[in-house]
Amino acid sequence: MTEKPLIRINTLNVEFPLGRTLFGKPPMLRAVNDVSLDIMPGQFYGLVGESGSGKTTLGRAILRAVPISSGEITFDDSDVNYDVGSLAKKELKNYRKLAQLIFQDPYAALSPRMTVRDIIAEPLEVMGLTQTREETDERVRDIAAKCRLNLEHLRRFPHAFSGGQRQRISIARTLVCNPNFVVADESVAALDVSIQADILNLLQSLQNQLGLTFLFISHDLSVVAHICDHVAVMYLGTLVESAPTRKLFDNPSHPYTKALLSAIPSLDPDDRGNAQKLEGEIPSPANPPPGCKFHTRCPMAEDRCRKEVPQWRELSEDHFAACHLV
Amino acid sequence: MTLLTVKDLNVKFDTDEGRITAVENVSFAINAGEVLGLVGESGSGKSVTAKSLMQLNPENSVYTPESNIQLELESGNVDVLSLKKSQEMVIVRGGAISMIFQEPMASFAPAITIGNQMVEQLLIHTSLSKRECSELSVEMLERVGIDEAGKRFYQYAFELSGGMRQRAMIAMALSTKPKLLIADEPTTALDVTIQAQVLDLMKDLVSEFGMAILFITHDLGVIAQVADRVAVMYLGRIVESGPVREVLHSPSHPYTKGLLHALPKLDALDEPLTPIPGDIPSPLERPPGCVFHTRCPEVLADRCNSSVPQHTNVGQDHSASCFAVDSTGRAA
Repeated sequence: MTEKPLIRINTLNVEFPLGRTLFGKPPMLRAVNDVSLDIMPGQFYGLVGESGSGKTTLGRAILRAVPISSGEITFDDSDVNYDVGSLAKKELKNYRKLAQLIFQDPYAALSPRMTVRDIIAEPLEVMGLTQTREETDERVRDIAAKCRLNLEHLRRFPHAFSGGQRQRISIARTLVCNPNFVVADESVAALDVSIQADILNLLQSLQNQLGLTFLFISHDLSVVAHICDHVAVMYLGTLVESAPTRKLFDNPSHPYTKALLSAIPSLDPDDRGNAQKLEGEIPSPANPPPGCKFHTRCPMAEDRCRKEVPQWRELSEDHFAACHLV
Repeated sequence: MTLLTVKDLNVKFDTDEGRITAVENVSFAINAGEVLGLVGESGSGKSVTAKSLMQLNPENSVYTPESNIQLELESGNVDVLSLKKSQEMVIVRGGAISMIFQEPMASFAPAITIGNQMVEQLLIHTSLSKRECSELSVEMLERVGIDEAGKRFYQYAFELSGGMRQRAMIAMALSTKPKLLIADEPTTALDVTIQAQVLDLMKDLVSEFGMAILFITHDLGVIAQVADRVAVMYLGRIVESGPVREVLHSPSHPYTKGLLHALPKLDALDEPLTPIPGDIPSPLERPPGCVFHTRCPEVLADRCNSSVPQHTNVGQDHSASCFAVDSTGRAA
């Protein structure tokens, strides 16, 4: 690949203090642990993991919504090159126009007291991207049309809309300032199946139309498999495997990825109970196991896994995993 | 042997905006030892249907006179909707029927230990002494795969992880040996690897205790894994029901077909996702005729929007309520 990555993350760590102590440093919770990854321009990058895996924290760190403890995030489109960890106030403002977030819950994300037009126009006004009301209206109408909302919708309040329509409003608000990088955090998790497919198709067509780069965070592997072209799997704050979607699903290498895949309930009633089941539960991120973090649940764990942290290695082109046994 | 028969169940809610129909003409039966899956999206009335079985719907709910729920117990039949006093309801609530909920954190009292909550309901529903109740509770916690059950017995809900809480819920629900377990989205709040464990556990328990389960979920994959028969609900009506293999392999109703097409499938990554067009109508604007006609790709011009389709047999024990299926016979 000769292209430069849009987002480059190098040994990123994000830590949160656990309570406060009078003297010295409080114990720290490592939500993201030595994560390195590259997101190419125009990519639909999937980030998968169970609760507590640090996927949301990673997404927020890229947007500078949580402080970075150590490591580096660079954002580099052809015009600007930012070191996200150390942005000055003015640069940060500019970065916010370029990198945006779509929320999970469309019921909580929209103010009930604003009309849809005002909701979508707010980012433009706050960031000072338009000079006149006419200009604002035009951009609102333009993005609303792309998100399949009509003029009639713009005059109404959010309570009049269903979950799917609300999520389209939320997407329009995110995209109205023309970002080129968008983090979609569990953006279809709150929606019904029949609506979910519609929003996924919309995201894909918007990506094509507007040349967006997506980081799509989800716990649902089958959704990620359908929409993303590259997938990274997280477990307890670390990346365990990353590969182009096809490669990952055809040939998963890490035992955790394999277990995740086989835990998805099959739609075929004749295909019952031959899944490879994981024992135990996810350990608390406040007290992670030593060595490979997955060894407490791994069916293949050896002595080495309990002591040494596995290296992040390239198995084949663009296919990485961190496991002693692959 | 039939355990529960629901016939022409109609549930309405009185709200400020008028009377809302939540469940309309729902009929089904559950046999002893059978797992019936109830699938539907939000607003389809699946939870209201389940709660009706124990009269747990809020006070503004109205059951129409033709609604009938019969529970066939060894001690005789019980007409659930005719029970008025809460003392009478004890036979049903927690006695013959237990329920587990989606969010186990919300279902345990936060300030009472797990053990005390389990003992409390056993004291109401069984004639055991307090000590026997404690012993039985610890035994049940062990049975559902909780480590150090004796210690967990004295802990509070917040001290347990999500998967563990759901196991404790199941232990509590089963300790009274109900004939029917209602499971309302029991694995939706859990991670997939934990969901797989809990589903396995439930399957084991069905065969061990021989009870029936009404399993409510929006996830067709989960249904495929646990259910024997399935009923698909849309806007308060059952649109299709039958053995789980038949319904998932050869769905008849356009809504069931649409749901299956809209699901992302791992073995067909190249196939585009086909959403069901439009949105689920608000319960205040229930469409006349067939409730699905506003979104149906097979809608018949002058029939579907005016008259309500009846259930038609499309196979052994497999029926769908759709005019399109009516006219072409078996549409598979």
